[in-house]
Amino acid sequence: MPNPRPPDDTSTFQEHRSWLQLQIVLFICRFTPTCPEVVRILSLGMDKELSLMMRIKLRVHYLMCSFCKRYMKQLKYIREVSREFPEKIGDVSDASLPADAKERMKAALRQ
Amino acid sequence: MSFHPGGIAGAVGQTEAKPELKVTAVNDPSLWVDEHGDVLYRYALERVRKHDVAQDLVQETFLAAVRTRDRFRGGSTVRSWLCGILKHKICDYYRKRGRETAFTDLEFLSDECAEKFVPEGYWVHMNGPKEWKPEADEVMHRDEFWKTMRDCLGKLPERVAAVFMMREMDEVESKEICATLLISESNLWVMLHRARMALRECLATNWFENPEVQH
Repeated sequence: MPNPRPPDDTSTFQEHRSWLQLQIVLFICRFTPTCPEVVRILSLGMDKELSLMMRIKLRVHYLMCSFCKRYMKQLKYIREVSREFPEKIGDVSDASLPADAKERMKAALRQ
Repeated sequence: MSFHPGGIAGAVGQTEAKPELKVTAVNDPSLWVDEHGDVLYRYALERVRKHDVAQDLVQETFLAAVRTRDRFRGGSTVRSWLCGILKHKICDYYRKRGRETAFTDLEFLSDECAEKFVPEGYWVHMNGPKEWKPEADEVMHRDEFWKTMRDCLGKLPERVAAVFMMREMDEVESKEICATLLISESNLWVMLHRARMALRECLATNWFENPEVQH
């Protein structure tokens, strides 16, 4: 025969594998919160300790969802740059105290 | 120009460098206004957004500093010491505001960017967070980045920005913020969540995913 089909056991193996993958994805979907919820929980996690179960759920969710994982990293990054911000504001803002305000302050300090 | 608001506590360490210089700087408060006034004012202005309030806060900071300068041991610089006082003054200002009006803002972003998710609860593929390329440390040295950050913070509604900055810049615990502003923890969490969401989105659009920014 010119075009032999692949042996049958491979295709059943592949079918089984895709069935298994589907089951895993379905399990993750049922077991972990949806993305909008994850996003809310991630923010909450920045302000208080999450339960062990919730942390496990998040880990499992990341297996399936790289968007939420990125979101989590970016929240941490935002915290980092926010803490740095006061140091930098002197350089990027050009606001300055009006002369009369300065005079008033100096007068107040002399008293 | 460096600015470190957490400076009050750092009373020990790094003192030996130039003690006499620091002592003179502390002893002559009239120099403070010209040396530190603008930096304090810039920070206060970002925080409270009103020129007159920011000026009052800076003045109160100087006056409080004069009253308490005996306690300044020269462990930190005069500026970071002043910034620490300013930080407390800002907190007091919001405490008063919280007593006067309800400090919650649940209107802002109340749809929580619903268009980013499909109804089944997953990210719309096109709108999901993308990888932020330039590494954190690199970005921090660039003034343009900090300008973008400042603009993005400026776009948040006042009360949302206020709680976000207390939490993330002053590192105040949520319980304490709630007690200061007389708001419930769940309202605070909603506001912080939306602030983070909006800020992330703004930084993504205007910096990390902006083709005009040279990375």
